[in-house]
Amino acid sequence: MKSNYNNHTPTTFNGAAIVLGWLVPGLGHVSIGQKRRGLLIMSGVLFLVFCGVLVGGIDAVDHKNDGLWFIAQVWCGPVVIGVDLLNQSLIAPLPAIEKAMLVGLSHANEMGTLFIAMAGLMNFVVLLDVLQAKKGDDFELRSESKERRTSQ
Amino acid sequence: MTLAWTPFLEPMNALQPVWYLLLLPLVFGIAVIYRAIREENYSVYWRSVAIMTGQVVFGIVAIALALGLFVQFVIPLLNQP
Repeated sequence: MKSNYNNHTPTTFNGAAIVLGWLVPGLGHVSIGQKRRGLLIMSGVLFLVFCGVLVGGIDAVDHKNDGLWFIAQVWCGPVVIGVDLLNQSLIAPLPAIEKAMLVGLSHANEMGTLFIAMAGLMNFVVLLDVLQAKKGDDFELRSESKERRTSQ
Repeated sequence: MTLAWTPFLEPMNALQPVWYLLLLPLVFGIAVIYRAIREENYSVYWRSVAIMTGQVVFGIVAIALALGLFVQFVIPLLNQP
């Protein structure tokens, strides 16, 4: 498997980038100068969250009834916590008959939950990537710096 | 006039019969994120997203067909006396 990192180069720890990458997916990469990469990550994660909420409704995020799924989903950041808060304030207090109209059943709920969980898990992978990514190592530049390091 | 379905508040129940088609946007979104991390050259980025999407969809369809054939044909054979 290809590695983007050379073992001989000093490792950097981008703590602030991880926090930014959790607050807004992709912002961690943008903050270390990888703007194009960060914007693509942002669009991918938000696309999955958008599709998940569209298919499953806001009930697709529910920390009370789908706690294990929520652990995966929460890696998307505050946007998922916001959807959960909306769910708990708008749908959870409703009487059972009204709630039945708004709670996703079967595949709609499963797929909506899965979309957002996959977005969260992918953003977790993105956070691991930004942890030791080199500053300004955007597309093209990453391969050039790798070639430079191997030629040394 | 109001819609019978309120987007984002109500689930999209109309997709229940064709839920498996949602595999396409799901895999596409995953490929967009994963290739953004792994790809080193932007000129081949969208091509590699398309290739990864196709590979994952093909793999899942192949597994589904194999399991379907196993359940429909192999298990009944095993049950024969």
